Amino acid sequence: MALLLRTLARQGVCLSRPCFAQSVFYRHAAPMGTTAKDEMNKFWAKNSKLNRPMSPHLTIYKWSVPMVMSITFRGTGVGLSGAISAFALAALVLPESYPYYLDLIHSLSVGPYLIGLAKFGLAFPVSFHTYNGIRHLCWDLGKGFRIPEVYRTGYTVIGLSIITSLALAYL
Amino acid sequence: MAAIVRLGSVCRRGVKPLFYQSTLLARPLVVPYNYQEQPYQLTAKIHASQALYADSASKAASLHWTAERVLSVLLLAMGPAAYFNPCPVVDYSLAAALTLHGHWGIGQVLTDYVHGDTKMKIASAGLFLLSTVTFAGLCYFNYNDVGICKAIALLWSK
Repeated sequence: MALLLRTLARQGVCLSRPCFAQSVFYRHAAPMGTTAKDEMNKFWAKNSKLNRPMSPHLTIYKWSVPMVMSITFRGTGVGLSGAISAFALAALVLPESYPYYLDLIHSLSVGPYLIGLAKFGLAFPVSFHTYNGIRHLCWDLGKGFRIPEVYRTGYTVIGLSIITSLALAYL
Repeated sequence: MAAIVRLGSVCRRGVKPLFYQSTLLARPLVVPYNYQEQPYQLTAKIHASQALYADSASKAASLHWTAERVLSVLLLAMGPAAYFNPCPVVDYSLAAALTLHGHWGIGQVLTDYVHGDTKMKIASAGLFLLSTVTFAGLCYFNYNDVGICKAIALLWSK
């Protein structure tokens, strides 16, 4: 059956169905001379040279839960990375030790609610980024790509993040 | 159901398209019918054969991808480790893993949004500087101050 199929394909009978005859069809085709990176750079250079306007995207496309979660994942990642870098920089620059500055902030007696809020504010990005990171790792294993699964795992991540952050804030 | 689909296509388009249908594919009911697709398909096929010849291309990008995932899993494991067994080893491992994870992460963000060779070079250099300073600062903190695990514990006790 497959043999018959390949014979037909070699005669170039039906070009409208790409299917599995792809590799058989074009073994003789020559590979491209430029790299993807070169092509991309040429594309961007041409766009800026011709001063082409960019099509609207964020302003017109309907926001969906997976979209919001994806950009939040990126936002929390960049934010956490920035916070860690700021902390490291402070450690190098500031003269006193960490407990000193901690006592300094504590002596401001902000009140339990604000402290709880601050803890939640710290815990939520970490939780969300961690749980969604696990979701990403599942995708990397090839699992959970069907749309209902994407939404289900997405809501699970959001729920778990809120619960974990609340639990950590109340610790 | 599949048999009905096959009969239907025979009646409409003749015998040949039948040969391309489900017998060798996993999903018998999917039968796209689009003769206008031709020009696009030729390009797609050339790219497909490109992959067949590309075995000599560098595996650096692929290895980088795998290393990113391995590091992510390691960082996940360091969470409980830091909670149940805080010690200098965990402190320094956390410093290294966090910095590298952040470095590679921001690297991906730059790749997405920064276009052009010179701009990318400047951005990458800036990122490298930032990551170096971050790692240096965290190590300094681990050595001269309470250490990362203790710092989080103290912060949360207030």
